[in-house]
Amino acid sequence: MKPENPIVAMLSLAAGLLFMWPVLYSVWMSLQTADAFYAGKLAFTLDNYERAITQFNFARYLLNSLIVSGLVTVLGITVATLAAFAFARFTFRGGDLLFGATVATLMIPSHISLIPNYLTLAKVGLLDTYAGLILPAISNGFAAFFLRQYIRGIPKALDEAAYMDGASPLTVLWRIIVPLSKPAIASMALYIFITEWNNYIWPLVAVGRQDLYTLQIGLARLYKINPGEGLVDWPLVMAASTITILPVLAGFLLVERHLVRGITMGAVK
Amino acid sequence: MSGISLRNIRKAYPGGPTVLHDVSMEFHPGEFIVIVGPSGCGKSTLLRLIAGLERPDAGEIEIAGIRANDLAPQDRDIAMIFQNYALYPHMSVRENIAFGLELRGMPKAERNRRAQEVARMLQLEPYLERKPGALSGGQRQRVAMGRAMARNTSTFLMDEPLSNLDNALRIAMRTEIKELHRQLGATIVYVTHDQTEALSLADRVAVMKDGHLQQFDRPDVIYDRPANRFVASFLGVPPINFVAAEKLPGWQGMQGLTAGLRPDILKLHAQRPARPSLEARLVLSEMTGSDLLLHCDSAAGRLTVTAPRREVTEQARQLWISYDLDRALFFDNDSGERVDLARDLRSISIVEE
Repeated sequence: MKPENPIVAMLSLAAGLLFMWPVLYSVWMSLQTADAFYAGKLAFTLDNYERAITQFNFARYLLNSLIVSGLVTVLGITVATLAAFAFARFTFRGGDLLFGATVATLMIPSHISLIPNYLTLAKVGLLDTYAGLILPAISNGFAAFFLRQYIRGIPKALDEAAYMDGASPLTVLWRIIVPLSKPAIASMALYIFITEWNNYIWPLVAVGRQDLYTLQIGLARLYKINPGEGLVDWPLVMAASTITILPVLAGFLLVERHLVRGITMGAVK
Repeated sequence: MSGISLRNIRKAYPGGPTVLHDVSMEFHPGEFIVIVGPSGCGKSTLLRLIAGLERPDAGEIEIAGIRANDLAPQDRDIAMIFQNYALYPHMSVRENIAFGLELRGMPKAERNRRAQEVARMLQLEPYLERKPGALSGGQRQRVAMGRAMARNTSTFLMDEPLSNLDNALRIAMRTEIKELHRQLGATIVYVTHDQTEALSLADRVAVMKDGHLQQFDRPDVIYDRPANRFVASFLGVPPINFVAAEKLPGWQGMQGLTAGLRPDILKLHAQRPARPSLEARLVLSEMTGSDLLLHCDSAAGRLTVTAPRREVTEQARQLWISYDLDRALFFDNDSGERVDLARDLRSISIVEE
């Protein structure tokens, strides 16, 4: 894209910097020693990253977050796509009611289901396990709703042509609907991944074992465990935060092309 | 090759009107059947029932002697060409053509060879690696045909396959489809609202209106002996003229009839002829090529007549139109059904004033 107007370009740059500032500042801070930072001097080091990873177990938290968010994304998008296909293409008894219920879940704050979910998992003995972190998050009403709307935009004649060609419903889904819904699926996958990555309250409730902590829990604990009489070791916290945002950034760059297409798609067609 | 038999088919969509009322037809193996009618007459629904994309509410569908009501589309040995082609946009032309073969477990080398073969027949070879989005309307139409042909099925269903093409291409493709039918020898059921397509392609034509089968017969029979007013008016270009039989000068036949006069049985005269004729005033003339289409007002109402261009002069405003009553059709005013009149009942006494 080429900026047509210098004023627009300047404003865009300013807005960009405004949004980038906290991120840039935290990266800047993470690269300095605590002493120098508080003394107002400059002393660059990668020490904070090393400490976060070795001393404060951030490598393990990162792994946990990747496992949990990754599986939630894969399972969640699978469930949402299957549900969306069913809602978009089949009429079945209670289908409308079920779809209404799916949409209704969007109106319920997630914290309301916190205690019931906790009790359920306690009953089946899944607290303090990966399954306990993952299972409650894989049903995503918004993703099912969004994908259903998208699939409804795909001409039904394509399904019918495939059925005539000899396809089963699952073949139609896998060979026709999924390839054509790639932008929407990529958008939703990223959305689910980021939501789960940033999830704080559920991992806090569901696990007590430190080796199952996700990054967000680890990050929060940094405040409590780091020494210094009321002083927080901000450069260390910033190094940990930078570790936390990097995978999300990478994920965004990976699907960005699809994401933009997914958002603009409805306008053209 | 397989025949198709439809017996007392009834279909209504939930919450909608009944789309098909008790339709029964028998298609012989290898026949080219055209189902024709105005939009909303149920012709596409009928095709979808044969395809298995819809289920009938009542009645029996038999394909190749086997009851097919509960067979899934993929088990019917039928290929279908959709009005909007329904090509898979993410697959190349080759993949589009070969998809059905792949789903039926044909090895890759063989299905590629088959796709190549079909593409050669349809002159699609240069486009095999292209996606449908990069093809013209005519090429897409051909790919849709190729996809159906690749599978070598005994029956093809075509749902207005030419309606998205421009006129020249439509005429060319019409010939190709006819030629293809001759080559493949398959049963073809073809739905259209275009009466020219119906008459030119079909071995037999089924005319439908409001979910009822009006007539099912050879094109020449449908044209010459239409079952009712609707069939007579729907088929034939330019359309047939209807006038009250009583208004024809000297009519002494039955009362309560409408005469159907196709433009080709009307003849123009500059002077009053010796035969029975209507005096008419030329209102509008349209050139169609070598012929003129003349719209005239007469005592019996508006009549459309075709005449060779050289026979009509621009100045001719006052005309006489004679008619050949032996070739006229007669319809009951109340039921609209065609009435077979014995010759003497359509007699006209020529009363010269």
